[in-house]
Amino acid sequence: MKKTKLGEFEELVLLTVAALQQDAYGVEIKRELEERLKDKLSVGSIQSALKRMEEKGFLTSMFGDATKKRGGKRKRIYSTTSHAHKVLAEMKDIRAGLWESMPKLALQFS
Amino acid sequence: MKSLLTNNSELSTMCHPPQWPVKILRFFVKKEYLEEIEGDMEEIFQDNVARFSIHKAKRIYTWEMVKLLRPSLVKNLSAIQHINQYAMFNNYFKISIRGLMKNPLNSFINIFGLSAAIGICILLYAFAQYTFRTDQFHENKNVVYLATFFANRDGTEQQYGITPRPLGEMLKEDFAQVKKMCRIQNRNVVVKQEANVFHERISYTDAAFFEMFTFPLKWGTSGSLQDINSIILSEEMSIKYFGDENPIGQNIQLNFEKERTKVFKVTGVAKKFPESRSFDFKFLLHFDNLKIAEPDYDFQDWTEPVNATFIQVGQPSDIVAIAARMEKYKTIQNRAIKNDWAISSFVFEPLVTLHQHAENMKEDITGSSASDYKSIIFLSVISLFMMTLACFNYINIAIVSAAKRLKEIGVRKSIGASRKTVIVQFLSENIVITFFALIMGVLLGRFVIIPWFEQMNYFSTEFTFNDRTLWMYLLAILLFTAIASGIYPAFYISRFQVVNILKGSVQFGKKNPITKLFLTFQLILACILMTSAVMFTQNSAYMVKRPWGYNKAEAIYAAVPDQLAYDQLGAVMAQDPNVISISGSKHHIAKSNTTAVVHLPEREYEVDQLSVDAHYFETLGIELAAGRIFNKQENGDKQAIIVNEFLVKNLSQLLPGWEQPIGQQVEIDSIRFEVVGVVKDFHSSNFFKPIRPLIFKVANKEDYRYLSLKAAEGTEIKTYKALQAEWAKLYPQIPFQGSLQEDVWGDYYSQMSTHGKFWRGIALIAVLLASLGLYGLMTLNVTGRVKEFSIRKVMGANTKNIALNVTKQYWILFIAALVIGAPISFVLLKFVLEFAYEYHMPIDYSGTIIAVALLIVVVLTTVSLQIRKVSKSNPVEGLKME
Repeated sequence: MKKTKLGEFEELVLLTVAALQQDAYGVEIKRELEERLKDKLSVGSIQSALKRMEEKGFLTSMFGDATKKRGGKRKRIYSTTSHAHKVLAEMKDIRAGLWESMPKLALQFS
Repeated sequence: MKSLLTNNSELSTMCHPPQWPVKILRFFVKKEYLEEIEGDMEEIFQDNVARFSIHKAKRIYTWEMVKLLRPSLVKNLSAIQHINQYAMFNNYFKISIRGLMKNPLNSFINIFGLSAAIGICILLYAFAQYTFRTDQFHENKNVVYLATFFANRDGTEQQYGITPRPLGEMLKEDFAQVKKMCRIQNRNVVVKQEANVFHERISYTDAAFFEMFTFPLKWGTSGSLQDINSIILSEEMSIKYFGDENPIGQNIQLNFEKERTKVFKVTGVAKKFPESRSFDFKFLLHFDNLKIAEPDYDFQDWTEPVNATFIQVGQPSDIVAIAARMEKYKTIQNRAIKNDWAISSFVFEPLVTLHQHAENMKEDITGSSASDYKSIIFLSVISLFMMTLACFNYINIAIVSAAKRLKEIGVRKSIGASRKTVIVQFLSENIVITFFALIMGVLLGRFVIIPWFEQMNYFSTEFTFNDRTLWMYLLAILLFTAIASGIYPAFYISRFQVVNILKGSVQFGKKNPITKLFLTFQLILACILMTSAVMFTQNSAYMVKRPWGYNKAEAIYAAVPDQLAYDQLGAVMAQDPNVISISGSKHHIAKSNTTAVVHLPEREYEVDQLSVDAHYFETLGIELAAGRIFNKQENGDKQAIIVNEFLVKNLSQLLPGWEQPIGQQVEIDSIRFEVVGVVKDFHSSNFFKPIRPLIFKVANKEDYRYLSLKAAEGTEIKTYKALQAEWAKLYPQIPFQGSLQEDVWGDYYSQMSTHGKFWRGIALIAVLLASLGLYGLMTLNVTGRVKEFSIRKVMGANTKNIALNVTKQYWILFIAALVIGAPISFVLLKFVLEFAYEYHMPIDYSGTIIAVALLIVVVLTTVSLQIRKVSKSNPVEGLKME
């Protein structure tokens, strides 16, 4: 777990990329996340999360096609690496374990 | 054709993101991310255009752009700017400081010179700010207007600051745009508070005064002006009558006439007025008090003026509509008054620029800033001169001393510095030096030059560092000075080839023609400023002695309230053996006069008019040029006038027959007069004002307001004291008002000597700068040739030889500078004196000669100091030095 520091927001972005598959480029990721979080996100926050995770090796990317709407600029399609999958699975297990170990009482109160 | 059209329409429907955020984005975002992010941004933008308006989309785009500027996405900016330059500049800075320390003399000359120039620039700034600030403290300055009119009195249209009495109230009633109105009527009264009595100027005004003008109160309320029994004081008057205490509620008695008095309650004291203002007040009371003070003061009389009428409109454009409909009032006015005083138009002068226009306005209550604008021109020229002197010093020293730094430049260049970097190095060194000079200059300006100037002129510029424009100005000075003084040396020095420098084959600085040109130019400037100092000093001395055209020395005058007082005082003074003659008059030279319109065939001519008695000419020593004075019988010469030579000169150019003025007939106020005498011209105003055409009429006895007397020579002071004493005995309730005629222009003489003082100060700095520059230049020259001189001395050269050698290259410069400088100074100063003074001394060559002589002395002293140093030095030391 040591080298796989993943922030909460980063994790969300990573999951979105994984979910979107071939459509995972900046605008689409933003749209998807905004819908799910019911909140406005800035391009800057998404982009910096993407770039950080690419540096950490969670994501790879390649240029996609250009559209007129984008002023002739190409998209960059992101895809998750196997390392990312491993980390995401690990995180999920840790969380599930913690949920499991939570006493019933505490659950009721929450 | 068709396809082109559709293309066009398609293009126009396509919206683009705002230009400048895109540019910022392209500049800041990392290259490898740019295409993706710009594409994303554009896609979102197009979505937003579809959802919201274009404007909102653009706004969102801009905001998103700002949020994109975060460290992970932005280029490494320091990498583009090459951060390692920091070390380079650090090195430059160090080198400049070391350079300054190593050559204390040169540094002193440079920094002192520049700081003196900057100090004068700061004085210029302070004074210009002071002038431009005049009246700008009034919050309503843009919507308050002074009603004025134009009238044609002697062939030219002339503006008057007074207005017919009923105009103000009528304007307020007739125009919805006129929101507020206030009239101001100034009068002189006797103010009595406990046992103190003084003559003071009071102002009757309307309650709106404080709403229109921004004169905040220290104590009391401005609304109290509405109360007919209240009086509002200026701070100065409050201190004069009540000291530092709060006088609210205290009583002050005003004696309007001898028997007519009224007690007022102080309800307000104004805060100290800002220094730069064109008008103010001492005592303010409600306008209706005029009815009490002067029962026959008719508010509805179109033939009589009030000192000023101000109106306030809703917005500046309203005044156009009002001005367009003033014809009606012009008709009323011109029907009411005699033809003489017919006016041609009413004009509204905005308060904001009133001080600039007041110079050409007659009978206005406001002061003019015209002479201040003149001074700004002078100060600008002086600042420029000083700046040039200081910069030339710097350039000369930089060029000559660069010889010592050739090796440094050679090394820098050979390890990779381009010419550009060397230029940048020299300029940045310059900025360091100029920065020191700026700090010193600001201190010098703030604590020496400005106080000196203020003290000389008895005012305060209210200079403050809390002023954003000042800092911009200082920054501009810093950059300008640094570049102006540094650009030539930087280019010159960086020019040389490395190989030649290191080989030592560069001959440098000693024979630079530019250095010589600059030195010559400096000496010319010094010569001009020196001449101006001498000439202004000469002029001041001359002006003090300049004859006034009448005999001031033995004349004494006193103001009297009425004929009775005149008779009583006259009767007592006639007993005094020292009194040679006594005269009564309605007006008095330098104190009061009136204007009249003289009707000539087909022409009107405006003149000053003094109503006097027959003894007046003898008493004041006015000399007769032709004809006779009034005869001394009572009511003798009611239809006679005496004119001055100036009037005769003017009229003889216009009308035939006036070469023989005696016996000419003129008409004034529908009465025929005959010219019986001509007097020589004299100055009834100070020398800053031109002589005006003047007539004397016989005054009615009941109009006597002045008593003048001539004392026997040497007894003036004694007689004056006696006059005061007699007055105090007769009228203990009315303060004495009068003086020796010598003293009527009390501050005039000090003003004159101020001009001389100012120019002497400036010339001192200028000559100091020029001689320092010369000294510095010679020092460098001499130290570069120490070995040469030592060898010469060893070989037996005497002081004379050395002196010739040291100064050889300068003689031609000195002579050239003086030969060019002297005539320029003479012509320039002649022009300046004509521009600055209405009357000045007859200009001769003596001023220029004295200035040149002084300059030669200074130059010789500088040179001989240098020669002395060389001839005293030990040749052994000079040769040993390595």
